[in-house]
Amino acid sequence: MTTPRTETAAPAKNAPAIIASSVDEGHRTKQAPFGETLVSLARTMPEIVGMSADLAKYTDIHIFAAAYPDRFYQMGMSEQLMMTAAGGLAKEGFIPFATTYATFAARRCYDFISQAVAEQNANVKIVGGLPGLTTGYGPSHQSTDDLAIFRAMPNLTVIDPCDAHEIEQLVPALAKHDGPVYTRILRGAVPLILDEYDYQFELGKAKLLRGGRDVLIIGTGFMTMRALDAAKRLAADGVDVAVLHVPTLKPLDEATIIREASRTGRLVVTAENHSCIGGLGDAVAGLLFRSGVTPAMRQIALPDAFLKAGSLEVLQHRYGISTDAMIHSIRCWL
Amino acid sequence: MDAPALGDNSQLAEHSYRVRKNAIRMAEVHKQGYIAQALGVADVLTVMYFHAMNVRPEEPDWEGRDRFLLSVGHYGIAHYSILTAAGYLPEEELVTYGLDDSRLPMSGMTHYTPGAEMSGGSIGLGLPMAVGMGLGLKRKKSDSFVYTLMGDGELAEGPTWEAAISAAHYKLDNIIAVVDFNAIQADGPSREVMRTEPLIEKFEAFGFFAQRVDGNDLDALVKAFDAAREYDEPKPRIIICDTQLGNGVHFLENREKSHFVRLTQEEWDDAYEALDAWKTTRTR
Repeated sequence: MTTPRTETAAPAKNAPAIIASSVDEGHRTKQAPFGETLVSLARTMPEIVGMSADLAKYTDIHIFAAAYPDRFYQMGMSEQLMMTAAGGLAKEGFIPFATTYATFAARRCYDFISQAVAEQNANVKIVGGLPGLTTGYGPSHQSTDDLAIFRAMPNLTVIDPCDAHEIEQLVPALAKHDGPVYTRILRGAVPLILDEYDYQFELGKAKLLRGGRDVLIIGTGFMTMRALDAAKRLAADGVDVAVLHVPTLKPLDEATIIREASRTGRLVVTAENHSCIGGLGDAVAGLLFRSGVTPAMRQIALPDAFLKAGSLEVLQHRYGISTDAMIHSIRCWL
Repeated sequence: MDAPALGDNSQLAEHSYRVRKNAIRMAEVHKQGYIAQALGVADVLTVMYFHAMNVRPEEPDWEGRDRFLLSVGHYGIAHYSILTAAGYLPEEELVTYGLDDSRLPMSGMTHYTPGAEMSGGSIGLGLPMAVGMGLGLKRKKSDSFVYTLMGDGELAEGPTWEAAISAAHYKLDNIIAVVDFNAIQADGPSREVMRTEPLIEKFEAFGFFAQRVDGNDLDALVKAFDAAREYDEPKPRIIICDTQLGNGVHFLENREKSHFVRLTQEEWDDAYEALDAWKTTRTR
């Protein structure tokens, strides 16, 4: 069962269709954590180079480009070339951070990443902006299928970080990891949440952010942020919600997920900013079923559809991934 | 086709004969394969490995080497033929071509074979990857060249032209692209499947130093590769090599279905005889 139709009041329909990351009311933010962290990391790692296909400003790598103009390669609107050339730079010993929108990386470049990066185990870090439903531009820019697409690619590590704190920690972790990686990022003013939870990103590790008796939300990306908000609000109703954050979708931290899902009496809810097909929900369901662990389980995810254009707030609520929609769904399921 | 007159390239002619013979030995294992391409491109690869490129077969990963990217992965048979002739691979390994657990898979892949620098198979990756390696070599202040061997049918792939634009933009004068123009692709003659001419004009317009040569004329190839290496403007270079499919084995030279050839054992025996006869006429 996926997300039920939401019946809570929708936000006003007058917000513009802007390209921005999702900052909920009341959250602190940090500016351009990916670009800033890459700049500081590059001071001690001369092998790091940056690449963009005419979207430097919109992936925050323009900060790196300004700091290290001779280490930044503007490839023009040629994403397939960029990914393949990144494979070539990696062959010569460099660590390219190749940036574009998630949707272009996943849909447009699949064969090129598969053959020139993943199959050859090239040390390329693919960075995708505008993950999932973080723009109201419509299906061309809404990357609702990138996690499914990249999970199917051998050799590739796949990551969906939650917030600025996590992005700051994962950039050096990716640079030190020898192998191809796809990571989503949030750009611009990025929510800052996980520093309050004494959180430390580790590649391939899921982390329990809070315990709870009634519900276990297994979240990835910024849906973990919403899960934490939902947990606080549901606590006021006497519903005790645990939150397990799974930033690395591949390789999945199977032991931690099985351990947490095996605790009896809790509804397991997966939450992702991605299509209901092929992302976190499917990964967790497949793992648990194969492992003989079968709790009651529900999925919060975007529908299997090309989503509408419009204002982000309205769309996220309509498609079930706003905090209000999430709380509504969980109440329906309990 | 009359054999071209040779200057002082008798060593190259001998090498190119061995390359052709290696290819026949490999194709004979399966009685089928991309043998016509291997015979056609043998002279190009011979001039590259024995004349133009700076390589150490005994040390395939030597940092100072010129890079070679086999963009047309199905030319694996041709590449293994030259790698064997040049000393990267032992001759006895040729008969493992395409067999289980062989280091010589049908389509060239980097993890399998010493001297194979990229995984091909999916067409159109060579020039884009050469751009990345060319940028990387410049960063390292290396004098090495990146060569990539492409097919003429492959030129219909879009990213090849994305790469051509960027190679000129970044003044990658360390790239020498080589096109094996044999005029046939999977679905038929390339001028009918998708006409890519006029190639010299196109690549010049994209900012390349472009040459076109008879790809089965060793003297002409030597001159073209020398010119490509010595050209002193900051432009990427390309050599369009017009080759004859099946060159050296007369009954394969004008065969109708030459993209993927199937022959009987008797015909394979005849192929060795035909090649030996051709060698005598060529080196006289």
